[in-house]
Amino acid sequence: RHSVNRPPTPDTRDDQEKEPTLKEIINIKLIESGEKERLMELLRERLVESGWKDEMKSLCREYIKKKGRNNVTIDDLVHVITPKGRGSIPDPIKAELLQRIRTFLVSAAL
Amino acid sequence: MCSSNSLYTNPKPCKHLADYKVKNGLCGYNLIQDSFRTTPYGKTTLELSKLETKPRCSICSGCCKGRLYMCLMCSSVVCCLSPESNHALLHSHNENGHEILVDVERGELYCSVCCDQVYDPDFDKAVMCKHLMGFSRIENGVEGSELRLSKRRRLSFGMDLDSKNMKRLFFRRDHKSKSCFPLGLRGLNNLGNTCFMNCVLQVLLHAPPLRNYFLGDRHNREICRKMSSDRLCLPCDIDLMFSAVFSGDRTPYSPARFLYSWWQHSENLATYEQQDAHEFFISMLDRIHDKEGKASLATKDNGDCQCIAHRAFYGLLRSDVTCASCGFTSTTHDPCMDISLDLSACNSNRKDFACKSSKPNESLIGCLDLFTRPEKLGSDQKLYCENCQEKQDALKQMSIKKLPLVLCFHIKRFEHSPTRKMSRKIDRHMQFPFSLDMKPYLASSIVRKRYGNRIFSFDNDESDVSTEFEIFAVVTHSGMLESGHYVTYLRLRNQWYKCDDAWITEVDEEVVRASQCYLMYYVQKMIYHKSCEDVSCQPMSLRADTFVPIAGCC
Repeated sequence: RHSVNRPPTPDTRDDQEKEPTLKEIINIKLIESGEKERLMELLRERLVESGWKDEMKSLCREYIKKKGRNNVTIDDLVHVITPKGRGSIPDPIKAELLQRIRTFLVSAAL
Repeated sequence: MCSSNSLYTNPKPCKHLADYKVKNGLCGYNLIQDSFRTTPYGKTTLELSKLETKPRCSICSGCCKGRLYMCLMCSSVVCCLSPESNHALLHSHNENGHEILVDVERGELYCSVCCDQVYDPDFDKAVMCKHLMGFSRIENGVEGSELRLSKRRRLSFGMDLDSKNMKRLFFRRDHKSKSCFPLGLRGLNNLGNTCFMNCVLQVLLHAPPLRNYFLGDRHNREICRKMSSDRLCLPCDIDLMFSAVFSGDRTPYSPARFLYSWWQHSENLATYEQQDAHEFFISMLDRIHDKEGKASLATKDNGDCQCIAHRAFYGLLRSDVTCASCGFTSTTHDPCMDISLDLSACNSNRKDFACKSSKPNESLIGCLDLFTRPEKLGSDQKLYCENCQEKQDALKQMSIKKLPLVLCFHIKRFEHSPTRKMSRKIDRHMQFPFSLDMKPYLASSIVRKRYGNRIFSFDNDESDVSTEFEIFAVVTHSGMLESGHYVTYLRLRNQWYKCDDAWITEVDEEVVRASQCYLMYYVQKMIYHKSCEDVSCQPMSLRADTFVPIAGCC
């Protein structure tokens, strides 16, 4: 009955174990070499330096003040702040990280 | 209002955490204690497996990309990305009593039913113990090298130097006097580019501990002259000045004798050139200590010195240097008589990453935040780490171990560049509060924040000391580096007065806020309020009485 409306089963699901996507390969290589950890630290440092972290903190505080301290959970905050945070990462920081990843890919001969 | 706990109160556990603790105590925490990893930067994660791949949610195998949590009861890993998907909550619905989880990425407790972070001092203790135990073979910086300061009376210092001891105080009515000005406000004549000196003198004349000390006849000129063969005594000259300024005479006073005396103490500064008010302030404290500190055989760095300069201004700064490789922290304490602050908006570390909302406004709070921020030392400044046994990159962080009675902030407006052989003045306006709570800058607050707001008891907890301060004097500088002018604003009984050499005028708050502050003096709140009561509460009338007792005047 439902087969008419159901979309075709994606083939990739079966193949997932055998053929990891390029994205997954890169991720594994980054983790294995420890580069991912280093990049995370670098990102954290840059975000603090540029004042992005402080900005997020004050956004959180504003939200909490508005809603009332006892009416806010961590889930609420994450949900509200995440899009703002992602959207306000300064371009130079993105550029720097991309450049680091590219360099890494070259050196890992991928 | 209890100030000491207003910033950091331990949150009450939720019902589920409380139940969990009752049923399981600490064994859940102890079981996972070994899996905590704390980076040198203070971030703690829960390392679930030695495998390189990230653990996945047991319910969705990582498809949801939510925050990962590990259940304390059964160690299964679940994710939460509410409101889209909440497998943590699903897990609790499936298993009874499995409500308390640990955030894998952050090493923090979470209650899936409350959907919120929860806090438990025992948990934080388990996390911190793991971190500190790693260095147990060396005396760990955080707990080990705490200076054993002898128990100094703190607030009582300010308290016993009070009006009860002011025996010699009296004043003469002057018909021409500014009748509504409080006692002790007297202009100081400029003796040739001495505004830098006049400004600091006005501050010292009205710093409550110093005022009470000298007006209370604690440095008696007669006795001093008999006891010491050394004719030169700066405290005596200061005492003389106090008597003159608080005599009730409102005509401007010429501190010529004091100036001459100070020249004799510091020959190299005996010129008519404009000098730096901050330098002068420090040299004054040094001279007072030289003369009075000798008696107690205390050195300048010893917290026990009883000279009035130390009793009023002595504070202790804590410096933590953390190895960026292994996280070992070594702690030192340095005495300080004032705190010099860099202007924060001009700080080059805050790279201009077009972060559009970064505030361009300069404030004292901003400067203090910068002062206590962890600073990554350059790779040319590698320090030897005892744990790694080699030189490593390091992080440095300052905080305040002990607050003085009187807190002096020096804003570094004069920039000297040795490379360019140039000096310049930074004119940026800086906001400053009239009431200041120093709690966030105490060592206990800073260290606590370093590890992500972990709740743990701090050695030598300073919770018994008041952290609230009130401003009582601001020394401002206007003009250029070479040819500027210093003016002091004094706050007496919540009214501001401008002390511009010989001219004293009442001014509004706004004038003070708009001024370009260079030195700011705060005194502990209780002492400020007490000193407001002490000196002549009522304005003088113009009647011709010659002597009037202090209490119940007018």
